[in-house]
Amino acid sequence: MHVRTGRLGMLKQAAWWGSVSVAAACIALSGARADVTSDQAAAILVFPKLVVDTSVPPETARGPVDTLIRVSNTSDRPITMWCFYVNATPHCTNGTGSCLSTPVTCSPIGACKAEWQESDFVVSITARQPIAWLASQGAVLCQENDNPAVPCLPLSASGRPGPKGQNNDGSRISPVPEDPFIGELKCIAVDQNNVPVERNDLKGEAEIIRSTATSIDVEGYNAVGVPAILGLNAIWNGDNTLVLGGSCNGGANSGLPCSNASSCPGGTCAAEYSSCPNILILDHFFDGALDPISQRQVTTDLTLVPCSEDFATQVPLTTTVQFLVFNEFEQRLSTSRPVTCFQEFHISDIDKASKDRSIFSAAVQGTLTGQTRIRGVADQDQAHGHALLGVAEEFRADAGSAAVNLHFQGIRPQSDFIHLPAGGL
Amino acid sequence: MKGSASGVIARWGVAMSIVLAVTAVRAPGDVTTERSSSILIFPKVQFDSTGVQTGAPVDTIIQISNTSNSMVFVHCFYVNAVPEDPSLPPGILNPPQCQEIDFSIWLTKQQPTHWVVSSGRRLDQTDKSCTKDFRGCSGAGFDPGLIPPVSDPFAGELKCIEVDSSGAPSKGNHLKGEVTLVTPAGDASKYNAIGVLGINSDQGSNNDNTLCLGGGRSSQCPSGAEYNACPETVILNHFAENATDPVVEELDNGQSRVATQLTLVPCREDFENQIPAKVTVQFQITNEFEELFSTSTTVTCWSNLTLGAIARVFDVGFLGTRFAQTRMTAATDDESGFVGVAEEFHRQGPAAAPLVSRAALNLHGEGVRPNSDTIVLPEAP
Repeated sequence: MHVRTGRLGMLKQAAWWGSVSVAAACIALSGARADVTSDQAAAILVFPKLVVDTSVPPETARGPVDTLIRVSNTSDRPITMWCFYVNATPHCTNGTGSCLSTPVTCSPIGACKAEWQESDFVVSITARQPIAWLASQGAVLCQENDNPAVPCLPLSASGRPGPKGQNNDGSRISPVPEDPFIGELKCIAVDQNNVPVERNDLKGEAEIIRSTATSIDVEGYNAVGVPAILGLNAIWNGDNTLVLGGSCNGGANSGLPCSNASSCPGGTCAAEYSSCPNILILDHFFDGALDPISQRQVTTDLTLVPCSEDFATQVPLTTTVQFLVFNEFEQRLSTSRPVTCFQEFHISDIDKASKDRSIFSAAVQGTLTGQTRIRGVADQDQAHGHALLGVAEEFRADAGSAAVNLHFQGIRPQSDFIHLPAGGL
Repeated sequence: MKGSASGVIARWGVAMSIVLAVTAVRAPGDVTTERSSSILIFPKVQFDSTGVQTGAPVDTIIQISNTSNSMVFVHCFYVNAVPEDPSLPPGILNPPQCQEIDFSIWLTKQQPTHWVVSSGRRLDQTDKSCTKDFRGCSGAGFDPGLIPPVSDPFAGELKCIEVDSSGAPSKGNHLKGEVTLVTPAGDASKYNAIGVLGINSDQGSNNDNTLCLGGGRSSQCPSGAEYNACPETVILNHFAENATDPVVEELDNGQSRVATQLTLVPCREDFENQIPAKVTVQFQITNEFEELFSTSTTVTCWSNLTLGAIARVFDVGFLGTRFAQTRMTAATDDESGFVGVAEEFHRQGPAAAPLVSRAALNLHGEGVRPNSDTIVLPEAP
């Protein structure tokens, strides 16, 4: 190979390699993700709402229910995910058990108080493999005498390995810690040592299925994905603190929100994962409105979870949430409410008014549908949550339900942090 | 000073390796179901008062909102894809009509609006608002324009495109939308409209009637991409066809089976010449044993098929596991890209008269298509 020795040659060579690098970086940046997503594979999956109630008689208002969780690996390499259930099931302070029922009953005397408890498990997924489990049952490696009704993990080295020898060995998906249960699931792509990895290869869905002898009702939503920032764009250290979004350190855009290094010329972006959205947008029926097709009253439940989560110290984070509500006359009303760890509400309960006086009520708004913009109030205190994720469910009186993912808008300069327990499992 | 030929080749080889290594990182699909966009695609819109085409009566509610603080104008197109003879099932001898009907609406700052496709929406300032004692206020609010009712039966798609006050395409990315499919008994499924983001750049637009989704410069797209590209691969996680519902079994509520309807629409559309786009879709199915199967089908203008009707390979008896991941791509880059939505039907009880519930799920996208897909709008007045 000819070697350039002259100064001009060195300059030309440097310029040439520089242009190649810039080209490569530009191409890479075109594939960089800016935001969380529910329609693309990602490195963190958030299932904002899981609900289980197989108790007899059921405590939950709409009868027996379980949640089917489906996850698949979209790449042709095996992947491991570390998952965390967040148990937000409320309990009576008098020790009489959970109080998911409506209206809440904690007799003889007691209050119904939400609790937040994390429990985790690891599951290995082979190339392109889809897996599924019931939240009430979890899943283990399939055995010969298993109940065929309960999903299990089919590939094992000693039984049936995959075509390339890959298997689900070492996986044991725990069931949710109690029944009835309500809470969240977060799953994070990790390597075999439970170190987070920058692989956007996970996609997932949850189906909430209610079944009685005389009825069935199914609703489904996509898991919300938080993509890792890939390759040249990230300051990736693989430690137990996952940094979701943030601002530029130094450079021309210092202090401004960033999702990758290109947003910070002359500086660095601290983010390892994409930023959570600044605003969530929900289009919805106002509570109590009549569905024009079925002529049944519609109510909407909103579930919100903070992007930040501290699984290491189990300290629930509180976020103040601002709601801006627009009706079809372009009239705007607003309210706010703190959300700690996990919160599910009927939207007409958000402002704690009586049903027909809530700003989320059709009787107050006057129109059938509205648009609500949901914003977590951010500050610099890491003990506070910042951004939020969520899912909405529509219920028709004495009939079916439907879930829908929320829309996202914008990113914010404050990072959100997910703290994992130290030392892996 | 000139390098030797071998040096140049080696240097370019290393350089290309770097570029390829970097580009091997997969680009995301650029259409979105969660961000405000300039084009909204509602792939599955149905109205069938008797169930002659859909098997059971169903109607659809469309919701669209303006997420900006300025007024937005929207040009919408229904594509009716019921068969030429709506009383018979679709097939080779009974092809889809692919008939387009369009209308315009406008939305004020942050305004949400809705309509039921069977009735449309009229401009009527006397519509009564909801009160504590009156809940059926479907017409209340600023009427967004005259929205025609669809024919009965109707099965097809709705595309809405953000335009300016003159009707020229505008890339403000101000629209979001949802679809709710509802039966008269109140069973409902809901999905987010698929959004195609407009690219706001100095070069990337000529505001003509040919909208260019992705790709580079070409005779049809002299300015290159004006909107984001459709995904190269569309991914669906699903039940194997006719698999049992594990929750129904767990709760011991009798027999059950799950069917999945997959609705696909080409990204290309020629509303000016009414030429339906056609795409051959390749399916790669991976079951829980990581075994790979494949099949294909052709979509002309719009397709709504159960997985079992596409090919027997989707059936649980053939697939061997209850769940699968299916990756869909266009057979060649020259064909149209496509987007879609899935709807699951969970049946419980005896096969002759089951209880049914439906749930819709947006599909995932991966990668971007290398070639442009174009939407040709009718000439403005």
